[in-house]
Amino acid sequence: MTSRQTALLIAVAAIGLTLAQDVRPGLDLYHTWQYAAAMTIAIILIVAYAWGARSGSDGRAGQWIALGLAGALTVAVGGLLSGLIGPDTITVNGSPGSVTPVPDLAAAAFFSPADPQTIARGDATVSLRRKGADAIAVPAGGRVFLGTSVVYLTSRPAAYIVAHDARGNRLTVTQPTNPTFLSPVLLFPQSQPLKDKSYPLDTFATPGIHRIARALFFSADDAQTFNHLGSRQPALVLSVDDDNGKSVGLSIVPSGRDVAVGDLHVAATLGTFPQLVVASAPHPAALIIGLLVFIGGVGGSFVGPRRSTSLRVPAAGL
Amino acid sequence: MRCVPIRTRERRANPGLLAGAIIIGILLTGCYSGGGPKRTIDGGSGGPGSLAGAPAVSYDVKRLDGQTDALSRYRGSVVVMNLWATWCPPCREEMPALQQLYRENKAKGVVVLGVDQGESAEAAGSFAREHGVTFPILLDADQQYGRSYAAVGLPTTVIVGRNGHVMRGIDGQLSLAQMREAVGPALRAQ
Repeated sequence: MTSRQTALLIAVAAIGLTLAQDVRPGLDLYHTWQYAAAMTIAIILIVAYAWGARSGSDGRAGQWIALGLAGALTVAVGGLLSGLIGPDTITVNGSPGSVTPVPDLAAAAFFSPADPQTIARGDATVSLRRKGADAIAVPAGGRVFLGTSVVYLTSRPAAYIVAHDARGNRLTVTQPTNPTFLSPVLLFPQSQPLKDKSYPLDTFATPGIHRIARALFFSADDAQTFNHLGSRQPALVLSVDDDNGKSVGLSIVPSGRDVAVGDLHVAATLGTFPQLVVASAPHPAALIIGLLVFIGGVGGSFVGPRRSTSLRVPAAGL
Repeated sequence: MRCVPIRTRERRANPGLLAGAIIIGILLTGCYSGGGPKRTIDGGSGGPGSLAGAPAVSYDVKRLDGQTDALSRYRGSVVVMNLWATWCPPCREEMPALQQLYRENKAKGVVVLGVDQGESAEAAGSFAREHGVTFPILLDADQQYGRSYAAVGLPTTVIVGRNGHVMRGIDGQLSLAQMREAVGPALRAQ
C-alpha cells in the first residue's frame, strides 16, 4: 500500500469515528483512552503525510490530497477534543409538568404535562430554556446541537395511575419515596430482578384509604407470559399492602383496564415518558465543512493531474 | 523535440512512521483515564420554596360547582393557592385559618384558592361544607398543580403576586398569623 493510500484510509477511518459521535451520541466508547489513542495516531499520520505532500513530494495529486487531508484533520481534531474534553453523558429526569435544572447547559429542562393519552402515545415533549433566550424544543427522535453538546430524548417506562376506593370515589395518588410527591405518573426509577431479567419498579400510595402499592412494569412482550390477558398490552403487576405492611392483594393490571386489588381500584395507562440526554459531540457544521474539503481535495487529486496531462516538458537528453 | 509527461515516484507507506505514531498516540493518551461514569440528574425535589420568582403555571380544572376555572383567571389579584386533600389531617386543621384569611382580605383583592388533589367532587364538596369554606375550591383530578408546584407533602401553600409570578411557596401547615405574614409582601407589592 502506498503512503497516499494509507493516509486516505486513515483519514476515512478518523472521519467515520468522528461522525459516529453525531450519529450515535452518548456511547462510553468516545470517552475511552483507546478512542483517544486511535484518533491521536490518525492525526499524527495524516499530518505526517500531508506535510510532505503539500510541498510536492507526492506530485500534483499529492498536493490535492494534502488539501483534502486538511479537511479530514479538522474533523478528526474535533472528534478527539469532543471525546477528550467534552462533558460526560448526562441523563436528565423529570416528571410531567416539572422543571429540572441542567447546570452543564446553563439551562432548565421543562417536561411537558402528561395525561393518560400522552403517556400511551409516548409523545410528551421536553424544552430547554436558557436565561434571555428562546425556548428550544427537543423533538422526539431528533437532536439539538448546543455548542459542543448534542441533546436528544430517550424513552423510559411510565404509568398514569387513576385510583378509586370501593365506592368509586377518586383517590389522591402520592409517591412518598420519589422526588415528585404529588404525581399520578410513575416513572419507575428502580428495578426488580426476576429470573434472568430486570423489570422496572415503582411505588405509590393512596393515603385516602391507607394503601401502599408496589408496581412492576411488564412490556407488551413480557406481558405475553400472562396468557389470560388475551391482548398484547403492557401490564403492571401490583402488590398492595396496608399502612402496617399487611398484604391486601396482588393483581395484574393490563394497560387501560380497571382492576380491583382488595378495596383499591386501579386503572393504569402504560406507555413511555421522555428523559433528556446530554452528550458531547462535535458540531455538525464543522464536520460538514471538513468533509467537503476532504471530498474536494480527493476529487481534485483525480481531476487536477488529468488536466495537467497537456502540460508536457522537454525530455532530458535532447 | 520529445516530450514526456511528468511522473512521480509512488512512495511506499513508512512502517517506522506508523510505529512511531502508534507509540506517540498511546503515550499521549495512555494516561487519560477516560470519561467518568454517566451521570443522572433527577428533578422535582426542590420543593415549593424553589419556585419563588417563577411564572405561576396554570391549568384548567373543574370547580366544585362544575364550572371550569384556573389560577390564571385571577391574574391581578394576590392569590393564596392551597393544595390540600380530605385525607390530610394538617389540611383539615388549616382550613379554618384559610377561611378567616379569605374573609379578612377579600376586599383587598386577595383570593384564596383551595386546590383539592386528585379526589372526587363529592369528597371535596362534603369537606368544604363541613368546614364552612366559601372560597373557590378547584378539583385537580390529575394533580397537575401538585406536580408543577413541586409539592413535597400536603398542605402546600403558594402565594402568587398580582403580576402572576410565584412570590413564595410553603410546605406544611400554617397558622393564621403565618398566613397574614406570608400575604403581606404580596399585598404591598405593586
